[in-house]
Amino acid sequence: MAKFNINTDISSEELNKSPLRQLWRHFKENHVALVGLWFFIGLTILATLAPVIAPYGVNQQHTDALLLPPSWDDAGDVRFILGTDDLGRDVLSRLINGTTYTFGLAILTALITTLLGVVLGVFAGMSKGVRSSILNHLLDVTLSIPSLLLAIIIIAILGPGLLNTVWAIILALLPQYIHSVRNLVVQELSKDYIIAQWLDGANSWHILSRGIFPNIYEHIVVIFTMSLSTAILDISALGFLKLGAQPPTAEWGAILSENLAFIYLAPWTVALPGILLFFSVLATNLVGDGLRSALKKRKAI
Amino acid sequence: MNKFIFGIAILMLTGCTEQALKNQNSHGLIYCAEANPVSFNPQITTLGSTIDLTSNQLYNRLISIDANTGEFLPELAKSWEISKDRKKITFDLREDVQFHQTDYFTPTRNFNADDVVFTFSRLFDAYNPYHFVGGGQYPYFQSIGLDQLIKSIIKESDYRVSFELFDAQSSFLSNIATDFAIILSAEYAKNLEISETLENLDNYPVGTGPYKFKDYKRDILIRYYKHEQYWKHPVELEQLVYDITPNSTTRIAKMLTHECDVTPHPNSSQLSILASRTDITVQKETNLNIGFWAFNTQKAPFDDSRVRRALAHAIDIEKIMHAVYLDNGKRLESILPNTSWAYQAQVNMPNYNPELARRLLQQAGLIEGFKMDLWAMPVARIYNPNARKMAELIQSDLKKIGITVNIVEYEWNTFIKKLEEHAHDTVLLGWSADTPDPDNFFSPLLSCAAALNGKNAANWCDPEFDLLLSKALDTIEIEQRKEFYFQAQQMVIQELPLLPIAQGMRFQASSTNVENIEIKSFGGVSLAKARKR
Amino acid sequence: MALEYIFRRIILLCFMLLLLSIFTFSLSFLFPGDPLNNLSGVQNISFHESDALSEKYKLGHSILTQYFSFIERISHGDWGISFASQEPIFDHIVALFPATLELALYALLASIIFGIPAGITSAAYYKKWPDKIINTLTLLGYSTPVFWLALLMIMFFCLQLGLLPMSGRVSLLYEIPDVTGFILIDILLSDVSYKFNAFIDAIKHLLLPTIVLSTYPTMVLIRFTRDSMLEVLEKNYIKTARAKGLSRSQLIFRHALRNALLPVIKQIGLQFSTLITLAMITEVIFSWPGIGRWLIDSIYQRDFPAIQGGLLAVSTFIILATVTADLMHSLFDPISRNQTHGKI
Repeated sequence: MAKFNINTDISSEELNKSPLRQLWRHFKENHVALVGLWFFIGLTILATLAPVIAPYGVNQQHTDALLLPPSWDDAGDVRFILGTDDLGRDVLSRLINGTTYTFGLAILTALITTLLGVVLGVFAGMSKGVRSSILNHLLDVTLSIPSLLLAIIIIAILGPGLLNTVWAIILALLPQYIHSVRNLVVQELSKDYIIAQWLDGANSWHILSRGIFPNIYEHIVVIFTMSLSTAILDISALGFLKLGAQPPTAEWGAILSENLAFIYLAPWTVALPGILLFFSVLATNLVGDGLRSALKKRKAI
Repeated sequence: MNKFIFGIAILMLTGCTEQALKNQNSHGLIYCAEANPVSFNPQITTLGSTIDLTSNQLYNRLISIDANTGEFLPELAKSWEISKDRKKITFDLREDVQFHQTDYFTPTRNFNADDVVFTFSRLFDAYNPYHFVGGGQYPYFQSIGLDQLIKSIIKESDYRVSFELFDAQSSFLSNIATDFAIILSAEYAKNLEISETLENLDNYPVGTGPYKFKDYKRDILIRYYKHEQYWKHPVELEQLVYDITPNSTTRIAKMLTHECDVTPHPNSSQLSILASRTDITVQKETNLNIGFWAFNTQKAPFDDSRVRRALAHAIDIEKIMHAVYLDNGKRLESILPNTSWAYQAQVNMPNYNPELARRLLQQAGLIEGFKMDLWAMPVARIYNPNARKMAELIQSDLKKIGITVNIVEYEWNTFIKKLEEHAHDTVLLGWSADTPDPDNFFSPLLSCAAALNGKNAANWCDPEFDLLLSKALDTIEIEQRKEFYFQAQQMVIQELPLLPIAQGMRFQASSTNVENIEIKSFGGVSLAKARKR
Repeated sequence: MALEYIFRRIILLCFMLLLLSIFTFSLSFLFPGDPLNNLSGVQNISFHESDALSEKYKLGHSILTQYFSFIERISHGDWGISFASQEPIFDHIVALFPATLELALYALLASIIFGIPAGITSAAYYKKWPDKIINTLTLLGYSTPVFWLALLMIMFFCLQLGLLPMSGRVSLLYEIPDVTGFILIDILLSDVSYKFNAFIDAIKHLLLPTIVLSTYPTMVLIRFTRDSMLEVLEKNYIKTARAKGLSRSQLIFRHALRNALLPVIKQIGLQFSTLITLAMITEVIFSWPGIGRWLIDSIYQRDFPAIQGGLLAVSTFIILATVTADLMHSLFDPISRNQTHGKI
């Protein structure tokens, strides 16, 4: 039997919600992705409010309390909920501040990459002929340099440090980004409605802003989340290899590598940053996956 | 029937291979080394990490020092005579010592006086074809002024050799007994001259020691085979392999998984883990060493002694003893450790006084603070188990008086190379004694000669100080020497080219089935008698 | 048709290598320090040496001349001298590359063997419990930082259980002569009494690094295969076949698989770059004596000539590997051969 929608008093606008609201509705139905989103938001808040939330200063050394286990252990102290490291610094405070460095900077990196990537990708997609070829070959060459190697080279040129890591990762993520955006643009360009706009006499800018962009920005958001998770992994990997954040900066990867020496004595100092890293990347991936499937569902309708 | 035979065959195969495995493992020792060796010739370096790998394993010296009594013991020299004016020392050599036979050299004669003459003339004779090979740097011998001391070396007969000195120096025999004064093969040197590959003397070594060189893969391993004709005693191990592992946590992990049988200098924080394992033994020895903070006195503002003094007062050494040495070290009250016979506790050792530090800085006109580099060693040493941690503590202490510290680290051998060029502002370094003679703490570290060849990390040259040192060496009267060394110690604490921090204990971890590893209170480790049960 | 495609690909290859060489060449000037030091590998150039070296590296001439002299040196095997070891960089690379290659190869094989079937299963049982389990595992695998995974494995298998070794390629007491650089082949070729033991030992050493290294590529392949398979399963010809009454396995193995695997093959080619990046981190943690660990050590030691040489070697390899994978892909997929040039 067919289902009837008795909707005479509900305007069509209620039913045909904007694409964004539809997207959100589909996303909401995916409970796991929602959990991911909550965690994501929580991390963002932590990252911005870290100095305020953390109980102690990030470099505050308590010489009377070295290598204390977390407070639920017998030897622990309730002053230091997650224990202290070998210089007497509160693990919880350092981890919270680490959110700013690892997570916060990763978001910054991903945003900058998105901006640059979209601009360059659109440019690459819209251009034709030799210009397009050369740009694409350049892209392919940079794609063939492993991102870590590229980061190492940039750090060799600029010197180690958190800021230079950000540059390095931006430059390493860009080619992949430009590649994807370019493919998206090219795909859209071949569609009928764009050709119709073209024939109508719209110039490039018009086509871009009215035609292509509204249709690809959701994909860009998905790519953003994927590059965000890569950025988190890369920043922490470089911090772990001591090429990125330098002590005493409280970046998660750097904290992990610093505390490796105590892995037998104080395994929590190594376990906790790792777990945090895992969950942040997981949350980002959950959100990204959720967005992707929500997009697919919406398109299917 | 066939299955049965097959089964038996498999069993036998596994049985055979298990035996082969046991054989392979029980006759070889894997030692976790902390860094690549800079050379296989101990003459050209003072780095403990290189000496430990080479000196007592590949070579022998003319004499050695008894760790307990301080007496000289015969090695390649059977006996020796010192002339009345102490300017001529004659050694009678052993006649039964054979050199290594390796892939690249076969000896045709035993060790004799020619080898002694060659070894030492390489050090100071500019006309010796090998003097400039490998850079011409013999840091230990140059710092103690050997080139100005030895007038000539005379071969009296095949097994008798004399050293003629310009001055009678009381530490001469001690220096001949150090790990640096090993004996090379003159015959091998001649062969290399003919084939025009002189660098191989230091890179493909030939000596008389218990092990001979087989292979070296940079950053990976060093392989020694046993020297079948070792003169002193039979060598138990068939193979000695060094697994080059710069990271101290990885070395501990390898001990726990038994991928390494021995590891030197385990990180003090990990000692409890090792001690709690029944299959691992931890050896602990007192050791003559000092860990210090050296200031590059030729660089502003460290050329101002007030600034150096201010920095010394600004740091809390008690905190360092607790966090870095984990209460396994002894705080230093002088540049000499208290086990040295010339030791005198210095009354004006700087104490923790940030107020005084600020006032001194103000006097020097630097009250607003400044930026400086602090170089920290990347490897654990006896005198400093964790330079990085120490640097971080100092960094936070100095921040309180307005000084911003930037911590600089390089790979160990690169680190030392750059230090020799005096590229640093200040550095956390130290010194492990090679002999019990007190001069060993002064000349190689603070003499003008040492400043010239880069070993003086404070880049400090004071002719008055050098004079004190040479006066102390001119006499053999202990009381007289003590007097001079007291004055020298006072001078060091007065001027503070470096701030002595602490003396560490020497630790070594080994699998319980490994025996006879010799670590002494001075000098490098010896695996000559090592064996596996 | 195919010939023209191959020809275009080779032009592309040459162009990419050209760009790579220009980038590598410029590094001598971009890296801190004097270009002459960076080019020659000699750190303390004495006075009279500096003239001779300047002439050799043509520093007085135009950039173009310098570049050509660079290309000439590279093609003759003179890749400079390492600051740290003072030995030719080319020798280092030849000694170390096979170790990385071996590890990467086994990891790639593992990811193909485990990843593709898992992806197919996942797509076949879309939205049922095998799919859900595989999806969850994939998500978890994707989200684990590789160094974290390596540390966990070492903690568990090596330190806790004592089952596997945690560093090197084979126990150091086994002396295996270096023939190909591939440890398993070298052991088989060698003439030692403990051949069997050494082989088992080498496999034990290979196990953990391969598992760690192959995790990320496996996850990517699973996802990709699944997506590609799902897309193919939506196609009309599959629906027709289903309507005709073919069973699920017949559908998958006879019709869908071949088409679904095509983009997967291409994706495998694109994995090389990521694989080498992850291999570098894996090598550091497992002390695997490959080119990745050497490169990371070089940056600690500020060994610029080494970084340059390493970059050239690794990127050239990846470019060659990618183009080969691409050619293989076009071998199986005639449609891609028609794609206009400029796109990969």
